[in-house]
Amino acid sequence: MFQVIRRFATSVSNVADIVIIGGGPAGLTLGTALKNSPITKHLKIHLVEGGQIIEPLTSFLETPPPNYLNRVVSLTPSTIGFLDSIGAWSHFNQERTQSYDDIVTYDGVSGARMNFEHPNIATMVETTNIQAGLLSRLNELNSQQEVKLVIQEDTKVISIAKDSITQWPTLQLSNGDSLTCRLLLGCDGYNSPVRHFAGIESRGWSYNRWGVVATLKFADTEFRFPTGWQRFLPTGPLALLPLPNGYTSIVWSTTPELAEMLLSLDETEFLSMVNAGTRLSTEELSMIYDLAKSKSPDLLEQIQWRLNLFADKLKPADEEDFPLQVAEIVTGSRARFPLKLSHADTYVEDRVALVGDAAHTTHPLAGQGLNMGQEDVKSLVEALERATSRGLDIGNSLALEPYFSERWPKNHVLLGVVDKIHKIYSTDFAPFVAARSFGVDVLNSLGPIKDFMVGTISGNSKR
Amino acid sequence: MYPLRRQFSHVGRLLQQSKLTATSEIEMSHFNQLASTWWDVNGPQRILHKMNLLRMDFINDTIKSHLKLNKGITNPEEQIYVPPFNVDNVLPKEIADRINGEQEIRRQQLWQQLKLDALDIGCGGGILSESLARLPVVNRVKGIDLSTEVLEVARQHKELDPMVREKLTYELKAVEDLDPKTEQYDVVTMFEMLEHVNYPAEVLKAALRHVKPGGWIFISTINRDLISWFTTIFMGEHILKIVPLGTHTYDKYINEKELGQWVEDGHENPDLDDLRKQFEVAGSKGCVYLPCYGWKFTDNAEVGNYFMALKRRE
Repeated sequence: MFQVIRRFATSVSNVADIVIIGGGPAGLTLGTALKNSPITKHLKIHLVEGGQIIEPLTSFLETPPPNYLNRVVSLTPSTIGFLDSIGAWSHFNQERTQSYDDIVTYDGVSGARMNFEHPNIATMVETTNIQAGLLSRLNELNSQQEVKLVIQEDTKVISIAKDSITQWPTLQLSNGDSLTCRLLLGCDGYNSPVRHFAGIESRGWSYNRWGVVATLKFADTEFRFPTGWQRFLPTGPLALLPLPNGYTSIVWSTTPELAEMLLSLDETEFLSMVNAGTRLSTEELSMIYDLAKSKSPDLLEQIQWRLNLFADKLKPADEEDFPLQVAEIVTGSRARFPLKLSHADTYVEDRVALVGDAAHTTHPLAGQGLNMGQEDVKSLVEALERATSRGLDIGNSLALEPYFSERWPKNHVLLGVVDKIHKIYSTDFAPFVAARSFGVDVLNSLGPIKDFMVGTISGNSKR
Repeated sequence: MYPLRRQFSHVGRLLQQSKLTATSEIEMSHFNQLASTWWDVNGPQRILHKMNLLRMDFINDTIKSHLKLNKGITNPEEQIYVPPFNVDNVLPKEIADRINGEQEIRRQQLWQQLKLDALDIGCGGGILSESLARLPVVNRVKGIDLSTEVLEVARQHKELDPMVREKLTYELKAVEDLDPKTEQYDVVTMFEMLEHVNYPAEVLKAALRHVKPGGWIFISTINRDLISWFTTIFMGEHILKIVPLGTHTYDKYINEKELGQWVEDGHENPDLDDLRKQFEVAGSKGCVYLPCYGWKFTDNAEVGNYFMALKRRE
């Protein structure tokens, strides 16, 4: 079992090889991968997490919650391949995951669409499922090995300083202990204290958009293969991603105003609004938004009437061009998070490395954020394995540089591409719409290019 | 890159005096300069730090590839299949992968059971010594050098890392002054050292005495050819100035063939006590420095810098 260090009466000074700050997917994957590797498993590793994770994650697997949680991510086959290679994938609750073969993106203004097809192009997994599966695998590894990874949960980092003699990072923890390490890994999110300690700048901008999430259920009108839908509206894309049993997780990226409006609607209104968002024209939507903002009692009626009109005009052959209508919502699943782009100037400094959101954040429209973080973990673990087998001090920049030079350029390109897609679709200015729609139509019919795009979206995995 | 090789160093005694004479002031500042830059990975010794990566790769790969997978296993059921040909070109991929996979697992098991004692001759500031000490398969490391200042750098630096503090010791000694009866090692290293001494053959002979049966000597030095002169002296010292002027002397370079021949001569020597009879050249690899990238192995060990491994019979 874990060695869980809670509060001590007297303060203790610990020394570890690696301290991972952050028990999210990045930190847990990193810890699991390092324990799984025969080359690095002998290293003394501590994972420090400010919140409580052990009990919630353990009970997630023992007694799974009745409803799907609203924090869901799309995993590429490459990510799943990596999670499998470290022995963690089999610990996930597989029944709660949904793999799909189809992605359809369509233009909210012109209707131009692209269709990506590939077996297991992506898999939807709840973030908590990922963390729980990793924790379970970590548990298993700890029980098999002498040197155990120590999880210090419910422990915040008060301050970080460099030891005056060795220059090793020393952390003061909220339980009074101090923890010194050879290598400090920042998996501590967008506001990363580790990044600040290392003096690394992060550049980017806020998109001035919010992602509204909710867990909904499709109407039981007909059978559809699980598909990922994304409609590019001028205010931001509306994505419907498949969950098991006809459920769907939506991410509606939109302006702060509209996000507030969406969260203020009652459940029936919200469901109608989502259906409107997937079908009605941008002019109609504008009008509907105004009705909603002014809290008009006719809102529901208006939307329904327009949706009926739309259904009447729709040819049966074109029905499958749109997702099914949504009919139910999991109460309390509506939430929102701010969208921003950021990229750290570097991922490594003396005795510090950044992974995941601490290093970069992106728009969710391409489903790449968490996957980029997983590729970071894979690259960093390889660099640490190499350095360890060469007897290097793993905190030394010589040991860490290969990780930075492998990941930074790739991440930079992907962040840039996603940013451009967001910008291209953020307008309804006719010439731009025409150009992008033409581009989409052309790309959609070019086999080799689409194969390349599918390969990139799915992480080029050989699975 | 340049362990200061002064056989009879007065500096040690000078430094102990409480009065700072003019000479020792120069030495002190020289020492202080060395100390601060030797271990700066981005400083003047960066080439050396980069070369250390290849040194460790060479040692790891050589020892691992020579592990006898079926040593001491008489039961044919437990033996790993080691065919006398290269499976990758002959057998279908799945079968080749399985054979290689089984071999790799056994190799890892044997590797992890090793407990090696290592001697680093001409250890300098301890770059290699510390890397060796950190390996779980290394039990202890002794580093010897003839320069007091550089050894001081090494000693100070090892105190900063608990992983090497206990396993590593440094001594101000020449290899010929070590007692062959008590100082026996599994691995003896002489990296970038032979091209700096006046009598390399004598130093090598002395080193042979400290290798246990089945043990290794790892050497790296530079071939005496035009390419070496161009890269290490012309470009390295005069043009790019990555290496201090006068570090290398062309006549002292030793060819890979000459080293191999030296071992052969020992085999043919009628004197039965010649230790060279127990040693074989186990392998050699060339390497080249690419600015902005680092060191890279090459297939030609007869041109430029190279590594060589000598193995003693069991």
